[in-house]
Amino acid sequence: MNIPNQPLNQKILKYLITVLIVVGSIWSASGLEITPDRIFSAPGKIWILISAMFPLDLSQEAIDRIVPKVAESLFIAWAGTVIGAIFSFPVSFLAANNVSLNSLSRITKQVLNIIRAFPELILAFVLLPITGLGPLTGTLAVGIHSIGTLGKLSSEVIEGIDEGPLESIKSSGGSKLNELFFGVVPQVMPTITSYWLYRFEINLRASAVLGVVGAGGVGAELINQLRFRDFPRAGTVLVVTILMVLIVDTISASIRRRIIKGREIKV
Amino acid sequence: MEKTIKVPKKPLPSLLTITGYPFAIIFSIYSFFQVGFNLEDFKRNWSNRRLVTDTLFNPKWEWAFENASQALLETIQIAILASILGCFIALPLSFYASKATNQTTTTYLIYKSFLNFIRTIPDLFWAMLFTVAVGLGPFAGVLALVMFSMAIMGKLLSETIDSIDLGPLEAAKASGAKHNQAVFTSALPQILPNFTAYFLYIFELCIRASVILGLVGAGGVGRIIETQRIFLRFDRISPIIVLILLAVIAIEQFSVWLRRKIL
Repeated sequence: MNIPNQPLNQKILKYLITVLIVVGSIWSASGLEITPDRIFSAPGKIWILISAMFPLDLSQEAIDRIVPKVAESLFIAWAGTVIGAIFSFPVSFLAANNVSLNSLSRITKQVLNIIRAFPELILAFVLLPITGLGPLTGTLAVGIHSIGTLGKLSSEVIEGIDEGPLESIKSSGGSKLNELFFGVVPQVMPTITSYWLYRFEINLRASAVLGVVGAGGVGAELINQLRFRDFPRAGTVLVVTILMVLIVDTISASIRRRIIKGREIKV
Repeated sequence: MEKTIKVPKKPLPSLLTITGYPFAIIFSIYSFFQVGFNLEDFKRNWSNRRLVTDTLFNPKWEWAFENASQALLETIQIAILASILGCFIALPLSFYASKATNQTTTTYLIYKSFLNFIRTIPDLFWAMLFTVAVGLGPFAGVLALVMFSMAIMGKLLSETIDSIDLGPLEAAKASGAKHNQAVFTSALPQILPNFTAYFLYIFELCIRASVILGLVGAGGVGRIIETQRIFLRFDRISPIIVLILLAVIAIEQFSVWLRRKIL
C-alpha cells in the first residue's frame, strides 16, 4: 500500500516556513554582528560570572538589605494584582459580548487592547514624574497593565459560559441584574480567580524588574550590585529572588489547581 | 399527593476558604500600606503631570524616524533570532521534560526543574546578567531572550507532550523502533501544530520584551528610550512606542493568519 502524498500547497507552505526561519535568523544574526566565535566564547564568559558569584554574600548586612527589597517586589505584585482584579472585574462584563451591548463591548475591548500594549516598564517611567520614585509607581504600572490583561481574559471567560442558567433565571422572573449575579458570576468565578492568581505569578516577575527605572523592588538592587562589580552580593539578590518566586509559584499553582478541580466532598 | 424534596445541606466551607479569604484581604491592605499609598504625596506630585502629558501627546515623528529606525530594526532582529533559537533549543528539551516520552524519573526531574528554574528569572534579570558576562550590546539581549523563550516554550510544550496520544508511540515501538525513533516518528508530528502556534505566540512576547532590553544596555530601541526618558523627553519616546505598537499589531495579524493556515 502506498502512503498518500502530502497535498502540494501544504508542502510549499512547509518549505516556505523553513526558508523563512533560516533566512530570518541569518539576516538577524548578521545585522546584530553575532559571529560564531562570539557564540562559542559566551558559555565560558557566563561561567566566569557565575563562579564570581560564589560563595554568596550571606553577611547579616546583605541579608538585611536584600530581603526587604524582595518583599517589596512581592507587595508591589500583590497590590498591583488587586488593583487589576478590582477594576478589570466590572470592565470584563462590559467587554463580554453576551452580557453587554454589542457596540459597548467592542469599544471596551479596544480600550483593553491599548492598555495591554504598554509594557509595565514603560508605564512605570511615564508615571514616575507624577507618582514619584518608589514602589507606588511600580504598583500602579503593574496594576494598569493587569487591568488590560485580566480584563481580556475575564471577558473571554464570561463569553464562554453556559446560557442555560441565565434562561432559567429569566423564565422564573429574575431581572437582568439577577441573571448576572446568580447566573454569570457563580459560573465564571473559579476560572477568573485562578486567572488572578496566575497574573500574580506573572506580576511578581514584572515587579522584580521595575527597580531598573526606580519604581521600587529588587531590580535596582541587582543592577547596582552588578554595576559596582559586587558579584557575591548580586548572586545573593538573584538567589533570594529565585527562592521567593519558586515558593510563591508553588503555593499559587496548588491553590489554582484546587480552585479549578474543586474539593472532594465525601458523601 | 404532594411530594417535597429537601434541599441538600450546603457543605461546610473548607479550611482553604476559611483561612484564604481573610488572609487575602489582610495581605492586600498590608501590601497597600507597604507600597506607600499616600494621598499627600500624590497631591503634591499631581502638578507634575503636565511634564508628562504635555510631551507625551506631542510626538516628534521626524526625530523618531531619523534616530530610532535603526534601533527599531535591531529590536526586531533580536526578537527573531532569539525566539527561533530559544524555541528550537526547547524542542528536544521538552521531550525530556515530559513523563510521556521520558520514563527515566531522574532525568525527567532534572530537565523539568531546569526549565522551572530558568522560568523564575525575569527577562530583564537575564539581560543584566548577560550584559555583564558578554558585554553591552544586542548579543546580550539575544541571549536573554533565548533563555526567556526557552523557558516559556519548554513549559508549554512539555505540558502538551504530557497529554499526547500514546498509541502511535506504542505502535512504533511494537514494530521495532528505538525510543528516539519512536518519539521522532510518532510523538513529534502530534505536537508540531502546537509548536508552531506557541512559536508565534513567543515571537510576539519577544518583540514586546525586546523593546525594554535596551534599558539595561542589551541592545535595541530601549537604548534610545533610556537616554530620552532620563531627560523626560516623552515627546521623543511616544512615537517610538506607537511604532512598536504598530509592529506588534502587524505581527499579531500575521500570526493569526498563519495559525489559521497551519492548524
